[in-house]
Amino acid sequence: MSTDFDAIVIGAGHNGLVAAGELARAGKRVCVVERADVPGGMARNVTSGDGVTAPQIAHLLYNLAPDISRTLGVETRSLPTIGLSPDGRHVLLQAGDLRFADGEAHPEAAVFAVLHDRLTRFAALLGQLSDAPPPKLMEGLAGALSGLRDIGGLAKLGLNLKRMGKAEMREFLRILLSNSYDVLLDELNDGPVAGVLAADAVRGAWSGPRSPGSVFSLIYRLGQGGDVRLPMGGMGAVMAALEKSAVDSGAALRYGSGVASVDIEGDRVTGVTLEDGSKVRGRAVLSSLGAAQTMLLAGPSHYDIETVRRLRNVRSKGTVGKLNLVLKAVPDIPGLTDAQRGARLVVAPSASYVEAAFNPVKYGELSAEPVLEVIIPTLTDPSLCDDGRHVMSVNCQFLPHVPKDGWTEAARGTAQNRIMATLGHYMPGLADHVLQAELLTPADIETLTGAPGGHWHHAELSIDQLLTVRPVNGLSRYAFGVQGYYLCGASAHPGGDVTGQPGRNAARQLLRDGVLS
Amino acid sequence: MSVAHVPLGLIPGPFHDRLLALSRTQNWVDWAGYLSPGVLDTAEFEYFAIRNQATLFDISPMHKYRITGPDSEAMLNRLVTRSVAKIGDGRVGYVMWCDEEGMLIDDGTLFRTTSQDFRLCCQEPMYSWLLDAAWGFDVEITDESHTVAGLSLQGPTSWSVLKDAGIDVSDLKPFDWREVEDGLWVSRTGFTGDLGYEIWVPWAGATDIWDRIWTAGRMWGLRAIGYEALHLARLEAGFIAAGLDFQPVHAAMRLHRGRTPIELGFGKMVHFDKGHFNGRRALLKQRETGPRFMLVKLDVGGFKPAQGALIYHRKRREVGHVTSGVWSPTAKRNIALAELKAPFGVTRTSDLWAEIYVNEEGRWNRRMVPVTIEDKPFFMNKRARATPPGAF
Repeated sequence: MSTDFDAIVIGAGHNGLVAAGELARAGKRVCVVERADVPGGMARNVTSGDGVTAPQIAHLLYNLAPDISRTLGVETRSLPTIGLSPDGRHVLLQAGDLRFADGEAHPEAAVFAVLHDRLTRFAALLGQLSDAPPPKLMEGLAGALSGLRDIGGLAKLGLNLKRMGKAEMREFLRILLSNSYDVLLDELNDGPVAGVLAADAVRGAWSGPRSPGSVFSLIYRLGQGGDVRLPMGGMGAVMAALEKSAVDSGAALRYGSGVASVDIEGDRVTGVTLEDGSKVRGRAVLSSLGAAQTMLLAGPSHYDIETVRRLRNVRSKGTVGKLNLVLKAVPDIPGLTDAQRGARLVVAPSASYVEAAFNPVKYGELSAEPVLEVIIPTLTDPSLCDDGRHVMSVNCQFLPHVPKDGWTEAARGTAQNRIMATLGHYMPGLADHVLQAELLTPADIETLTGAPGGHWHHAELSIDQLLTVRPVNGLSRYAFGVQGYYLCGASAHPGGDVTGQPGRNAARQLLRDGVLS
Repeated sequence: MSVAHVPLGLIPGPFHDRLLALSRTQNWVDWAGYLSPGVLDTAEFEYFAIRNQATLFDISPMHKYRITGPDSEAMLNRLVTRSVAKIGDGRVGYVMWCDEEGMLIDDGTLFRTTSQDFRLCCQEPMYSWLLDAAWGFDVEITDESHTVAGLSLQGPTSWSVLKDAGIDVSDLKPFDWREVEDGLWVSRTGFTGDLGYEIWVPWAGATDIWDRIWTAGRMWGLRAIGYEALHLARLEAGFIAAGLDFQPVHAAMRLHRGRTPIELGFGKMVHFDKGHFNGRRALLKQRETGPRFMLVKLDVGGFKPAQGALIYHRKRREVGHVTSGVWSPTAKRNIALAELKAPFGVTRTSDLWAEIYVNEEGRWNRRMVPVTIEDKPFFMNKRARATPPGAF
């Protein structure tokens, strides 16, 4: 196997694979280096060996960039969202449509349609910023010719903003930096509809719906229209397709050994040294790891003191745990038809409930009643399990990255019991159906994948860590200090979720910067 | 609950009792919160003692940091612009360190014992910056600002004074330093450009070394001096001072007040070939685009000190200002440091004028005097470098 490449990509998560594919398609010799034996990172499938395949951590596609999605050839199914209500009057949300799960009209349907329409339009407006590196304000405004393109992008945003009309523009600017709790409850009652939206606003985040900036994250989640899609074959199938796409374009894969260090000569990368001691040479290195880890691989001595300080202080405390259950049968969910059980089920009966679930995590404690996002992928995709068994995949918020007293067995037990008890309200008898249960805390997810803090976005998606300051001031345009070194993971612009955008943008920026020409 | 007493106002340093007894003027200035003599007797007497005898100046208010541990050299190499690897064991180096934009944070002297043990001595408080700089390196930073006292013994008879005090430093070359006795470190360094030494002892009981030197100095014309005399001498030697000739960028509140080492005339102190150091990428860019300013040494016409004067090109266009200006009693010249806006001071160096205002018994007069850019320090004397030194 060759050990001399144009570019080396660290990490075979989705962003790493997208970056590798992008570079390989541009005719560059690319090698993807991955610590694990399989690709996927946070979006892996896990196979128990006895006929059960399940999405290990991430389980749905919220936001995959359409141009990336089109090229993959993986079938995905759009899932409706059902907000579970303690009184059994569950609500069904699909795009802008809202009704009760039993088919009855919902009194807030009209209000919801208007709100959904507005938020998705705002999302499309902001979405255009996701496809390119963040604007280069300082240098651009200083009159550098190279900045004109960026100014163009901003001008386009401003123009599109104006085009929405005065009232809409005002509304956009009014709510953009505010909190989702207030914005939602201006329009909706504090019930399951507001609850679902509030939960989506803070999914993956260390914040509650009352935190400023949670409107932005709600809009971010609606970036591609808010459609939630289940890939057939699990998230692992998407990863396999991304991997295949990269390999078909000529990328080499080198799995099973992580990168020990990035090699640098004269402020320019020359390759990487793997944990097994071998070296791979490359003129460019793209890291899909967290921003601070990426700095550490090169070594702090290659960075300015201010940069290291900023990177050390990137906020990335994960709050999402994952409970994977293997069930002998799907439990009844009173209030839902059998088919509706295959939807995305959200336990967030009100926005206040979501806020109350967030509060304890600030103090290193577990939510008393967690916010849950539940799917039973085997109802849509029976190929994942044999023997009539089913998989239930539960995203649980809020679990502290590390509780006050650490993740002791007792703490894990408490977390799992609370999740099961919460599920039990809506699925009586669930406990009797469970064959296997595996809880992954944010700390476990960090250990498994290397994602800093086990954080969904590698770095909190908050106003102080967005756009020109994502991951930190001075490193927002993918180039990462040392010449030829690039950040292509979720901590780069625009951020997390399985979108592929940071990976694609980073690869394109590398090509534009002329490092490989 | 008892609350520890926090002293208000300026506080006495380790040699204050001795200085108080010698102060005829009671002229004290604030140096890093300490009472420091501006003048003890007269600035002229004190200045001429620097150039003709020997002088003692309390430099304890300087900030002093100890850097120890396996990564000390690597950590400092990333901090400062010059190569620390090229400073030998037992040697002292003048160093500058910059922020990420290449703007000077401070300058100072770096005392190297071994690659794992250094002392950094500087004007500005630097502890939190050093802690940031140390992150990721196996080093320990200790703030010795209030535990190590310093005395600057400067002047042609300073070696003789030490000798009579029983301290033999005959073999100490310029920028050498070593522990001559238990807890007594001597470096052949100073801020006067003359023969001289700096003496470092534990803060507690520091007056012992003062008394020992003072006694030995009686026959060598030893005087205690204040800041004003030192200011004259340091300008003659061409040394720059924080807050006057450059604004330490961490303390500057306004935008664009920072200056790079290149702009201060210290381009040779920036070692681009030693690997990464703080601000390197920004300074590399400046090396290509050229400096925005240049700090230059000036020979100023006339005899009126040019402190604060504006500099003009062809007497018309304002191109800079004097940052420090004095009449040099030894060089018998009117000297100054001035900051010029590029290209003046870089490629355009002629037809420059200083606008000096003088108050002649109640009437202000303006004088346009020609200025000439100088390369060399205004005061240079072989005795400063002679090893072993003589009884000059």
